Amino acid sequence: MSAAVGAERPQVVSHVQQALSYTVFDCKWVPRSARLLCLGSAARGTGIIQLYELHGGRLELLREIEKPKPIKCGTFGATSLQQRYLATGDFDGNLNIWNLEAPELPVYSVKGHKEIINSIDGVGGLGIGEGAPEIVTGSRDGTVKVWDPRQNDTPVANMEPVQGESKRDCWTVAFGNAYNQEERVVCAGYDNGDIKLFDLKMMSLRWETNIKNGVCSVEFDRKDINMNKLVATSLEGKFHVFDMRTQHPTKGFASVSEKAQKSTIWQVRHLPQNRDVFMTSGGSGSLHLWKYEYPAQRSRKDSEGSEMGVAGSVSLLQNVTLSTQPISSLDWSPDKKGLCVCGAFDQTVRVLIVTKLNKV
Amino acid sequence: MPVWLREHSWRQTLTAVYLSLPLRGARATPANIFCSEQYLKVSVPPFLFEAILYAPIDDTNSTAKIGNGNIFFTLYKKEHAMWDSLTLANADKEKLQYLRENAVLKAHEKAKEETEAKKITKQDHKKYALEATMKVEEAERKRIEDLKEKERQKVAEELELWKNQQKDGDKYMSIQKKGELHQETEPLKERKSGKVSKTRIPNEGTSKTRLKSTKGHGSCSIFSQDLKEEQLPAPRAAATIKVNFTPRVFPTALRESRVAEEEEWLHKQAEARRIINSDLSELEDLKEEEKNPDWLKDKGNKMFAMGDYLGAVNAYNLAVRLNNKLPLLYLNRAACHLKLRNLHKAVEDSSKALELLTPPVADNEKARVKAHVRRGTALCQLELYTEGLQDYEAALKIDPRNKNIEKDAEKIRHLIQGTMQSS
Repeated sequence: MSAAVGAERPQVVSHVQQALSYTVFDCKWVPRSARLLCLGSAARGTGIIQLYELHGGRLELLREIEKPKPIKCGTFGATSLQQRYLATGDFDGNLNIWNLEAPELPVYSVKGHKEIINSIDGVGGLGIGEGAPEIVTGSRDGTVKVWDPRQNDTPVANMEPVQGESKRDCWTVAFGNAYNQEERVVCAGYDNGDIKLFDLKMMSLRWETNIKNGVCSVEFDRKDINMNKLVATSLEGKFHVFDMRTQHPTKGFASVSEKAQKSTIWQVRHLPQNRDVFMTSGGSGSLHLWKYEYPAQRSRKDSEGSEMGVAGSVSLLQNVTLSTQPISSLDWSPDKKGLCVCGAFDQTVRVLIVTKLNKV
Repeated sequence: MPVWLREHSWRQTLTAVYLSLPLRGARATPANIFCSEQYLKVSVPPFLFEAILYAPIDDTNSTAKIGNGNIFFTLYKKEHAMWDSLTLANADKEKLQYLRENAVLKAHEKAKEETEAKKITKQDHKKYALEATMKVEEAERKRIEDLKEKERQKVAEELELWKNQQKDGDKYMSIQKKGELHQETEPLKERKSGKVSKTRIPNEGTSKTRLKSTKGHGSCSIFSQDLKEEQLPAPRAAATIKVNFTPRVFPTALRESRVAEEEEWLHKQAEARRIINSDLSELEDLKEEEKNPDWLKDKGNKMFAMGDYLGAVNAYNLAVRLNNKLPLLYLNRAACHLKLRNLHKAVEDSSKALELLTPPVADNEKARVKAHVRRGTALCQLELYTEGLQDYEAALKIDPRNKNIEKDAEKIRHLIQGTMQSS
């Protein structure tokens, strides 16, 4: 593992820090703006959505919205750029889509799951990708459901355990492979280390594997291209990068894994402007910036003549410790390269700037 | 008694005295020379030379050169005057003694002063060195801080700039929205421009499209109509995908697994199998198969099933003699003893079985339940109801779903309450 040369390494500069009076579970940039959202749970058991704007060296609170149930996760992935509706999943299993200009009543609401929605992702909106706007939610009740905001009450796809099977918590979901109107895949990570890849066009399970430790976060490097890479992070400090271009009939996808630190890696997020750079956030309050290098040949033939992928290598560009508590959420700004926000369990949200990403 | 050296020779000038002292073959080192203001002594055992000088000298600057079997002293006078003789002439013993002591004292003091002075200089040097390093480190730190600050400021400026651009962009967006009411194709162009330039500032995007619209006017409008309809595909047909989860030997993820204990249990079992207590004289009488504890255990089980409890006990006994680490032997023998109403033996055997069934893992659950139940039964039949109840409850803890155990436990509780009431 080689690190970049000293003076040219990207630096993580802490720009603003904001103390909050509630536990923040997710933080997201509002697309096409210098505003960010914090979603969380107040001490009295209600959900909070706060809208901040970056103003000079401070975060200015523009709006605070309180909801009856604590909110766990949110995404802008499935809305159009003008509307910018926020889809949230809460502790009760409700999926709601809010218009932040008029947040009293949700634009769309469904009690999607019986238990807390752990993770949510959206695709088809924001001018990225093609096809129908869809939202996928993964919940502790072991099911992964895909919703279309135009269809009420029933999900358009439901990935649930076979009858009688004991369920495993689904901890994370991600969309990918949305390069044309029909193709779409959903990747889900579970607490027993299962990673499952569902093909929504064929409505079938395309691939599954088990990485022994619970999967905290999965993300494709880009949602809107032919699936290229998938990063899955897990407990006990390990993450795996899968090369998704070549699927071997028995061995699946090739992967490289790296052990970053002793604690859980809570999130992985790829830089929107460079799909080979990603940041992982850890349970020890640290952030690591990684770069993936492709191998000389991405695929080769194995002994039977079937194509097999070759995984590349990962190198650490920079790491920084910001907090003593886990950093549970991370989001890059899609508009400004290197601008990111992270929320930690020490009830602070931090805006960071990563410099010198042009030279990476 | 030292040998006095008296063959010295000396000469003098106004400022100095030069004394030459032959050493008669002895070797001298600087340690052997002792000199103070008015007293000079050279002691190279067994030789000794001593002189009370005529007048005081400057002992710090005076020198002594040792070489060639000779010591050559250069003594600088304090007062520039010619001496009558090298030493004081009429020096009586007391004066000599006094002078000597004085000299020694003076020398001591001087030495002390010197060391003090040295110490002080050393400390000063150290302090200086420390300060110097501190300064260097400070400078380094400051440099890094400055770099960071500069970065921060640069970045903050860029951010402000970008933010303002966003604001302008938003303004344009809102103006456009109003324009929507008049022109239906507007939102379409927005989407197109959004697709073309994902992270460009809306400003530029919208101005581009304005140009576009004027260029390909006719075809553009037809296109836009079609695109709008194909814009979003219909919602997917609802479907379900059934999943299976990776079956696990332990029902929880790696970190919660009791791998260590399971390993231990397997290990123990493997060990137990290998033990052969071969120090039996009757072994030769036995047939080959009768020496195999497993075979004996099976034999015992068959006899138990047929009702031949004594035979079963015999089989188990022999098996135990061959290998006393197999918990199942004790467990089964306990069952036999229960049937034979050898209650104490049943208790003993169940206890031995339980001992061997540590560590408690999923594998030996059933065996442990049986052991507890058998011991409980034996104890109850011995009228030790409370102990028996304890065992039943332990069994229930391992296997809470077993209705029989529950019923029996209830019965025992009633019995206990009954006896308590009557007593």
